[in-house]
Amino acid sequence: MLFLIEYAREKGKLVTFKAFSEKDSTLAKNTRLELELDLNRRGVNREVVLLEAENEEALRRTHRRYFENLEELVRAS
Amino acid sequence: MKTEISKAQIDRLGDRLRKGNLTDSDLRLLDEYRRSFTSAYEKVVGLIRRELEVDPTGRPAKSTTSIGEKLRRESIRLSQIQDISGCRLIVAEIADQDFMVAALSKLFPTSAVIDRRQKPSHGYRAVHVVATIQKRAVEIQVRTALQQLWAELSEKLSDLVDPAIKYGGGSESIQRILTKASALVIRQEDFELRLISQKKRANRLLSTPRPEGQVNEADVRVIQALQERVDSHQEHVIKAREVVLECLKDIVKDLSD
Repeated sequence: MLFLIEYAREKGKLVTFKAFSEKDSTLAKNTRLELELDLNRRGVNREVVLLEAENEEALRRTHRRYFENLEELVRAS
Repeated sequence: MKTEISKAQIDRLGDRLRKGNLTDSDLRLLDEYRRSFTSAYEKVVGLIRRELEVDPTGRPAKSTTSIGEKLRRESIRLSQIQDISGCRLIVAEIADQDFMVAALSKLFPTSAVIDRRQKPSHGYRAVHVVATIQKRAVEIQVRTALQQLWAELSEKLSDLVDPAIKYGGGSESIQRILTKASALVIRQEDFELRLISQKKRANRLLSTPRPEGQVNEADVRVIQALQERVDSHQEHVIKAREVVLECLKDIVKDLSD
């Protein structure tokens, strides 16, 4: 599965999270680009990235920073 | 027919990324460049899944923010960045990491191995295997669970406090704590390696063929001593892991206070 992430670094917060199936990979890439273009035009600085994982649980395991705050990162270890 | 983006075009785009103030056409060109890694990325991740039967988390294309920061931080051209495309594998312990790196090196014989355990980057420890397919580099990050936890914390602190933290800058007190935590991860890895070595010795002794009924007392004593050392190291490994986690919890508590 593909996951589109929009993340506000300075707040450490996830803003957008969308899942796409493998067959929709072109749509996922196009959505990522459109989001980035829109943010750039509005002068909003956000990290926009497309990640691929077997499922959401696997993604949350390898990219915890997008989903958890500092306390949660350590507590759940 | 679409023409391939030239290296000069890519590097000129990199110069504009370094300066910021990107236009729509810059972002579209960067997107096109990143998509040119898709085939190499899919081959690498597909091979890992099929041949090694593990499921990495993939990042087919590095974010624009991260690319821009890398270009500003390092004297590097866009066409030279090796982690435009990549994936990540988290393994339990250092022995699993060594095993995985060896398997990846065999799977991608021309790959380059960057061992950040031998040469950590501001406390960051991991092994990166860079496979090149169709002239496109794909970076495979292999981290142990503790290395991963340290990296996630360092990144989160960089997000919230100061982006320089990840690269050895920012608050000195946070750097001190991260350095201490990284040293604890090293100690943990050292315990794990010693445990492996003791287990190997014990196994060698136990598997030495002896005529039935002729196990001498000296052998028995050596095996017992080794078993005790293995048990003792096992305890150290568990304790060291707890110490690392407690230290990291202290970091968070200090920051919250």
